[in-house]
Amino acid sequence: MIRRTSEPQFSTYFHSRGRALGLPIAGNFELTARCNFNCPMCYIHHSKEQIAASGRKELTAEQWLGIAESAKNNGMIFALLTGGEPLLREDFFEIYGGMKKMGLMISINTNGSLLKGEILERFLKDPPFRFNISLYGGCNETYERMCGRPVYELVKENIRTLKNAGVEVSLNLSVTPYNCGDLERIYKDAEELDVGVKMTTYMYPPVRIKGDGCEANDRLSAHDAAKYTVMWDKLRLTDEMFAQRAENMAKCISDEPLSCPMEEGEGVRCRAGSSSFWMTWDGKMLPCGLMTEPAAYPLEVGFDNAWKTIREKTAEIRMPSKCAACGYKDICGVCAAVCSAETGAFDAVPEYVCEKICETVRITQEYCSERNL
Amino acid sequence: MVIKKEVIKREIAGDTILVPVGAAVYDSNGLYALNELGAFIWDMLPDVSGAEEICERVVAEYDVSPKEAMDDINEFLDTLGKLGII
Ligand code: SF4
Ligand code: SF4
Repeated sequence: MIRRTSEPQFSTYFHSRGRALGLPIAGNFELTARCNFNCPMCYIHHSKEQIAASGRKELTAEQWLGIAESAKNNGMIFALLTGGEPLLREDFFEIYGGMKKMGLMISINTNGSLLKGEILERFLKDPPFRFNISLYGGCNETYERMCGRPVYELVKENIRTLKNAGVEVSLNLSVTPYNCGDLERIYKDAEELDVGVKMTTYMYPPVRIKGDGCEANDRLSAHDAAKYTVMWDKLRLTDEMFAQRAENMAKCISDEPLSCPMEEGEGVRCRAGSSSFWMTWDGKMLPCGLMTEPAAYPLEVGFDNAWKTIREKTAEIRMPSKCAACGYKDICGVCAAVCSAETGAFDAVPEYVCEKICETVRITQEYCSERNL
Repeated sequence: MVIKKEVIKREIAGDTILVPVGAAVYDSNGLYALNELGAFIWDMLPDVSGAEEICERVVAEYDVSPKEAMDDINEFLDTLGKLGII
């Protein structure tokens, strides 16, 4: 009659129900564009002055809670509070507490630097379902270079305190030219802290700030991104698992011609716009935070209409037909947001991604054959 | 009966779940799912004194014998107790 259920089972279950029934199971709330860090690859960070000059405004706590209430009434279970740095909002706990009272399972994306003192005390009394803490390096010097703040040791200490108290923490690591030298150290520290790390070497061009996409930003070349992806695999996988990974990659390679010119591209394959939505700091609803369209405005048209628009428009999106026929499509990380951020169109092939996966497969297999794995 | 853990009941597309809040988040690491009978009993918990009273109400609502109902109720209450919810 009662069953304790843990992630990812219930998440998968509710998202598949949501997809079938058109329910917004997960909402992502970008509470602010402000941040106390200044990372070069960030797609959202605006200073106070930039926000003032843009004429746009952060939503008030009341507006956020109103949107969350409507989403909850439509079936939302999961809410991600993100930013910028969401803990910079003076009224953060008003929003957090209000959403908790609605019976939402809340996760928080943070850089971890403010999880101390009174803020920490309040979280220890009423913790979120999970903190996703972004790591930017493995020492104070790298933090200084990457985010302008030498606070690695502080963030590490804050993570340790949360872990010791029994709060769920997971780490996100974005590898860039600024911190790629720290991979080994970060891996070791995460092991010592007993926290899982989600690493990515793929950085989106910051389309939401700069315009049409394809602009150079501070990311690794496709070849370097492949190199550090494999380096991370070597750190985290046993030889056996690494060899298995190489074998799985080999299965993706096909001698068949890659695309049939008549074939239609696939639709959006993830949860964006079918069971989850994203709200930008200034009140725009998107399928996912890395897209710039389709957009809808719940404060103007109401949540239900905005969600309906997002679902309908997302269902029309088609990815490149070449990807539909490509053996790498399940391992290269291609998605609708990547295509549009890289090329300006949902249905154009993101060459950077193709180059990165081909090189990743090549180095992985080379490593295996050199060692007879 | 006294509900000790802070949980919020939600109904989503025919499913009933209990979402932990406050310190209850620490030992749940997820949420609790209730079936139909579980949800029915859950709603009456604050107003009843024990299993017998629950049984009377269950038998009045469902086509089930008191003995069968009692077995299920005891199992349910036992699980809630083990999870520290009541
Ligand atoms: S992005 Fe490139 S590698 Fe990935 S599926 Fe499309 S064509 Fe294949
Ligand atoms: S980034 Fe891509 S995979 Fe992730 S939610 Fe957006 S569209 Fe989906």
